[in-house]
Amino acid sequence: MVETFTPAVCGSRRRQRIALAGFALGAVAASALVGASLGAVGALLGTQLAFVVAALALLAAAREAGIVRLPLPQLRRQVPERWRSELPLPVWSVGYGIGLGLGFLTFQPVATFWVACAAAVALGKPLAAGLCFAAYGAGRALMTAWPRHGQPDPTAAVEGLARRRRLLLLGNVGALLLCAGLLAAAPAAGAAVQTLGAGLDPAAAGTVLGRARMDSGSSSVLVEPRDRTPIAVPGAAAPAVDGGFFAYEDGQGVKVIDWRTQDPVARVDGQVAKPALDWPLLAFVRSDSTYKRLVVADYTNPASPVERVITRISAVNDLGRPSLAGGRIAWHRVTVTSSRIYAQVLATGRRSVIARSSVLVLANPSITSTRIVWVRQNSRSCALLMRRWASPAVKRIYRTTRTTRLLWTTALTGRTAYVTRWSLGTAASTLVRVNF
Amino acid sequence: MRRPDELVDGAAHALSTRLAGGLTRRSFLGRMGGAVLALTGGAAVAAAVRPEEGEAFHFCGHIWTTGSCPSPRGRPRIDRHGYPLRPGDGRPIDNLGRLVNAEGYAIDSAGERLVGPDGEPLPRAPRTRLCEEWVNERFGLNSHTQGSWYRCCGNQIRKLVDCCSRSRRRINGDASLVGYCWHGNRVFCVMYYDSGLSC
Repeated sequence: MVETFTPAVCGSRRRQRIALAGFALGAVAASALVGASLGAVGALLGTQLAFVVAALALLAAAREAGIVRLPLPQLRRQVPERWRSELPLPVWSVGYGIGLGLGFLTFQPVATFWVACAAAVALGKPLAAGLCFAAYGAGRALMTAWPRHGQPDPTAAVEGLARRRRLLLLGNVGALLLCAGLLAAAPAAGAAVQTLGAGLDPAAAGTVLGRARMDSGSSSVLVEPRDRTPIAVPGAAAPAVDGGFFAYEDGQGVKVIDWRTQDPVARVDGQVAKPALDWPLLAFVRSDSTYKRLVVADYTNPASPVERVITRISAVNDLGRPSLAGGRIAWHRVTVTSSRIYAQVLATGRRSVIARSSVLVLANPSITSTRIVWVRQNSRSCALLMRRWASPAVKRIYRTTRTTRLLWTTALTGRTAYVTRWSLGTAASTLVRVNF
Repeated sequence: MRRPDELVDGAAHALSTRLAGGLTRRSFLGRMGGAVLALTGGAAVAAAVRPEEGEAFHFCGHIWTTGSCPSPRGRPRIDRHGYPLRPGDGRPIDNLGRLVNAEGYAIDSAGERLVGPDGEPLPRAPRTRLCEEWVNERFGLNSHTQGSWYRCCGNQIRKLVDCCSRSRRRINGDASLVGYCWHGNRVFCVMYYDSGLSC
């Protein structure tokens, strides 16, 4: 590429500059697009991949240091030579820039590009990943012009660069090791509890967060998609979210809307509350003077939803906010003699007790297809506990003490849990995010 | 069928209430003496009239070394049935240490129901017996309230209660004693009940 963008090839120094600019534009734009696309994929996945990427970076560093031999995925192609003779200069220079800026259409001498791709997925933020990858494109563009600085002969410039190859490879190994260290530390840093401002009753699905807020005794709910303006629903409480669907309770009952368009999707009127959503399934608690019933409604046929009662308890006891995901439903049952966390597989009806106690309060479970979290409370502290469906081992991922820091309702998405933290004295509440 | 100590307690309580109702504390002690009480409530009740022996090892009336049963507020104060009370004033509390009303709902000191962050009254939490439920769950023991004895503490009769089990270790970690337990059980931890009767 250095020997391509020369006055001799381009036709004049002026045309050389135009070509370099075009190449840079194409390279940066294409790289940014790759980064943004990978970031978008990561956002959809919504899982913590930092450790995986750290491991890849370590493996790449070992490869670059010659410790392991690993083939790299690559297309052993070069930019089409004929474009220079068939296409106008601005077109072929931009085209060359796009081809090299994409990264995967040409030779890959080092593994760093693929580690960067994995990191963009792990980041899960299209804008940030796009900006980072734009730097890759800028680097590509810089390398077409810089080696010739002070060197009138492009061949000599290329040979000068080649003589420094060993140094460049060593620097690359160092950079990969640094990345591996930073990525390995990232989950630990990310696991540091982060408060998200006032709110309660979190709901989460991928990159969408929902919360309720109390203002002067009135409740409203917020839908907070990442990188978008939050959407408020006044007079509502107890949000639940699943993709583009958002459920809440209000004075009439439970409603489900498409939060993007605010179009109503479903409603259940009456003494119903505490919705949970895994569309087309909607769970809620229906209360009367005698019982509280946990109901799951199937809206596969929206015109005639099918309801099923999962469980019922006496009205004086506490049947908590349910959670629906991955074909399961979870809820808590607290009485004056005991508290229990239940989970039931909807297809089979098989119910299991996840946790039970005659002493503690176990409440507010949230589930995904792989995990469950819930709150455990005693007279001195609260804890947010987590368990995988596949393992009985329970892990504490967050803990508070004192009555000014009690834990309440929860939400779970991927490896991120949300919990309401509140004060008994003031009833003020804060949402807390815990990465684990 | 009521436990033996419940029968003795009931009789002693009824007798002492009747006797104390018409007499001053000094004349009651002077006239009745320990012997009469010993007939109805055993020697342990009689010992309660000796306040100079009431000083505690870790709370008043408990002169041995067995530790307290687990409880919401530290001091294992219980009601007649073994449920937790607030140590300072004897008001009922739940397992989270919150004052509760007769229905078991958490209340503040003025009797108003506590509310959660959503503005709704808090639901009930478990309120279970310190010996039969707390010790059972925390230590995996089949525990029962058995033996008891009485002391005068704070000018009122305090009943000290053994939580007994088959464990050869008590809650302190050292070897357990038989104490007032029966049927092969040994003392695991202790609790207390304040009768409110003057002594």
